[in-house]
Amino acid sequence: MDELRKKARALLEAGEVRVVIGYGGGTGDRARAIFVREPERADELIFDGRCRQNLAIYLTRREVKELGKPAIVATLPALKTVLQLAGEFQIAEGGLVVLAPGADGSLIEFKTFADIEKYLAGAASPIDPAEQAEMDRVRAMSPDERWKYWLGQISRCIKCYACRQACPMCYCPRCTVECNQPQWIPVPSHELGNLEWNVMRAMHLAGRCVDCGDCSRACPVGIPLYLLNRVLIGDIESNFHQRAGMKAEVDYALSTFHPDDRENFIR
Amino acid sequence: MSRIGVFICHCGENIGATVDCEKVAAAAAKIPGVVHSVDYKYMCSDPGQNMIKEAIREKNLTGVVVGACSPRMHEPTFRRACEEAGLNPFLCEMANIREHCSWVHEKGDPTTEKAIDLVRVIVEKVRRNKPLVPIKVPVTKTALVLGGGIAGIQAALDIANAGHKVIMVERSPSIGGHMSQLSETFPTLDCSQCILTPRMVEVARHANITLHTYSEIESIEGFIGNFKVKIRKKARSIDMKACTGCGLCSQKCPTRKIPSEFDAGLGTRPAIYVPFPQAVPNKPVIDRLNCTYYLKGKCRLCEKVCPTQAIRFDQEDEIVEADIGAVVLATGFEIKHGDFFPEYGFGKFKDVIDGMQFERLASASGPTLGEIRRPSDGKKPETVVFIACAGSRDPAKGIEYCSKICCMYTAKHAMLYRHKVHGGNAYIFYMDIRAGGKMYEEFVRRAIEEDGVKYVRGRVSRVYEREGKLIVQGADTLLGAQPVEIEADMVVLATAAVANDGAEELAQKMHVSYDAHKFFAEAHPKLKPVETNTAGIFLAGACQAPKDIPESVAQASGAASKVGALFSQDELTREPVIAVVNRSAPPLYSTCVGCFLCQAACPYQAIEREEIRTRDGKLIKTVAKVNPGLCQGCGTCVAVCRTKAIDLQGFSNEQVFAEVMALLDRSEPDAGI
Repeated sequence: MDELRKKARALLEAGEVRVVIGYGGGTGDRARAIFVREPERADELIFDGRCRQNLAIYLTRREVKELGKPAIVATLPALKTVLQLAGEFQIAEGGLVVLAPGADGSLIEFKTFADIEKYLAGAASPIDPAEQAEMDRVRAMSPDERWKYWLGQISRCIKCYACRQACPMCYCPRCTVECNQPQWIPVPSHELGNLEWNVMRAMHLAGRCVDCGDCSRACPVGIPLYLLNRVLIGDIESNFHQRAGMKAEVDYALSTFHPDDRENFIR
Repeated sequence: MSRIGVFICHCGENIGATVDCEKVAAAAAKIPGVVHSVDYKYMCSDPGQNMIKEAIREKNLTGVVVGACSPRMHEPTFRRACEEAGLNPFLCEMANIREHCSWVHEKGDPTTEKAIDLVRVIVEKVRRNKPLVPIKVPVTKTALVLGGGIAGIQAALDIANAGHKVIMVERSPSIGGHMSQLSETFPTLDCSQCILTPRMVEVARHANITLHTYSEIESIEGFIGNFKVKIRKKARSIDMKACTGCGLCSQKCPTRKIPSEFDAGLGTRPAIYVPFPQAVPNKPVIDRLNCTYYLKGKCRLCEKVCPTQAIRFDQEDEIVEADIGAVVLATGFEIKHGDFFPEYGFGKFKDVIDGMQFERLASASGPTLGEIRRPSDGKKPETVVFIACAGSRDPAKGIEYCSKICCMYTAKHAMLYRHKVHGGNAYIFYMDIRAGGKMYEEFVRRAIEEDGVKYVRGRVSRVYEREGKLIVQGADTLLGAQPVEIEADMVVLATAAVANDGAEELAQKMHVSYDAHKFFAEAHPKLKPVETNTAGIFLAGACQAPKDIPESVAQASGAASKVGALFSQDELTREPVIAVVNRSAPPLYSTCVGCFLCQAACPYQAIEREEIRTRDGKLIKTVAKVNPGLCQGCGTCVAVCRTKAIDLQGFSNEQVFAEVMALLDRSEPDAGI
């Protein structure tokens, strides 16, 4: 933590960055995102087990962009987000400083996207055992059971769009749900509309989701959205050998064709 | 409020016999916004078209729906009629109640109801149609001809003679292609080189043709009328200006045992060589893979003997860029070689050769100076067996198609052999004799009746060696599949004609489609045989499918005339059915977020980047931009775009959505647009 605070202070003092996006203490025992713009406030930064939110979400927010060049305190999913955003031309090399604190108080500063790629290639992404158990349970269901399971889950959706607001890849300033000519997704929160919304969001994230889990954590009614994302991640990995957030260049599984693709039917 | 006119066509009996057209017109009249609805026997006839024009003028229509045949048939007809009456042609649409309804259903109420639905859906679309203006793009009047065989030569000469510039690119050191290797040509038996070489010379001398031999296409970008091409001129290691083509270097080159490509491996050539005496350009090239200097760093004998100091060992590949308006692909074919025929001992027995090798044996410029002598010991073969369909028409070998040229050239080979070796025996094993062509059947009859060639209908199962003879084992299916065994001195395989190596990579580079056998695909098998699916790129010769010389030449002239028609205008007019990236009010400027995932999805490389800047030049955002010349209106980008920032003119999301909703909800009256 000391390393992180020291580095943040130095970056701000040197004028190398204008804002450090990091974690600070929130209400009660919570950690929340803070935006440190003065060197003397660098000591407000914390980093511990409570710091799970993917801060890379703020990199594409207009309000944050206007503050100037940022430094970001990045967890593993945030590092992936940085690469995916770079691949989608939302951030540029040199446009930010990436600081990844370790659990032991160490700090890695990434100078280039290539360094992040190298780091991620060797890093394991552990999956929560409880989530894995739920995934296995849903996978084992028959299609009928699974359909009922999802209708049950999705009927609880209140269309608050918290999942979208929490998602670092949902950076579009105008979402498809806000498009009303034509009205693709019905506005009221009925079963069909909810289903359309959630399926659409899952499809828009297919091949792009970095699996940070923020959507599930943001959902006020506790819909296990990570299941949808993770199944798509698995399918894309097994079929197309791609995983979002591993490279700073995007080879979008839904739109790319390679001459050596196994699927001959596209030719 | 829309004022839409609906016109239902009976198409004689075609629609009228199964669909109650009067009822369709009456039902359409009730759709809100439809102010005029009639039916008529032949809407595409002059009186029919006049009905539309009059209604537009009298009722002040804002949209026209013609319920008739497929838009692929008569959409241009009706749109032109609307335009003549003063209505933007893109406000006219067709509801296909023939192919999609009357032709595929029985007579009855459900059929009529479906026709009503189809009309209703298009009314909803037309209600949302916007006037569109055709797109104009400029045309660069220079053609690129890829391949310098007979097809490429013919295409280049035709285009050049029409007064347009041509750039010809040939990957080997000389133009001429396979035809230059042939001995004599069917069905007239005139010498191949005698009729080809004048054209090769004409290409080299033509003021409108720029020739790049020993060159390949590095990349091509752009669209019809506006391609940008990069040509890699491979290092010839010769200063083409200084070289006089005297040939001293080739005579003195110490590396002489390289199999000659021109002689199909039967002869040899030095490392610095001119492929054949009539080569164009008649200047040598150093084969760097076999030259002693490039391999060992010593020799440079050619440099010493060259009287004009034209040798350039340090020459590098050169990239030439050019703007072109059209491309003719004439990259030709190859014949199947190697271990494809283990049962025939090809590659194992020296005297089992392929058709091209026989051409070289029979050619006066060949390794035997035109005498038929077998490769193993140089003896004149007393019995020669020709095997047609070696590989072709053989699904087990993966080549189902007929190579088309073999029946004729095998008859020619046998004939030439009989002319050159009096008393020799010529046998041809064949499956069918396919001699469809002017004077072709007569040619085959001549081989059989006058030249005594013995045709055996059946397949050869095996060729093996016994006591210095090649034993050909087969069956004669006209004698009840009786086994036949022939002792031969030489066996000639009419091996399958296949796509040139590198055809697939080239097709991908040029963005043209190709078939399962890697032959380039024409746009329509009957009506667009020289066009590809990529506008501005045409096909000539055997790169599309196996073809003989007359057919290649005819197709080349066809391709040239297409290029001529394209070049006859200064601007191209294109349908405005293209994708467009939207613009909106600040601070968004466009809902495009600039992720460029659409870029990879576009099969036509039509998506570019555009910077939106303030008036004083400050960058606001970078968004996608669709190049209107390249876009084919396929809509893939529309589907990929998450924010719906791209829309297809004429088939907008709003229109298609309205169509689907109209179909889903049959009861709901229009929501008041």
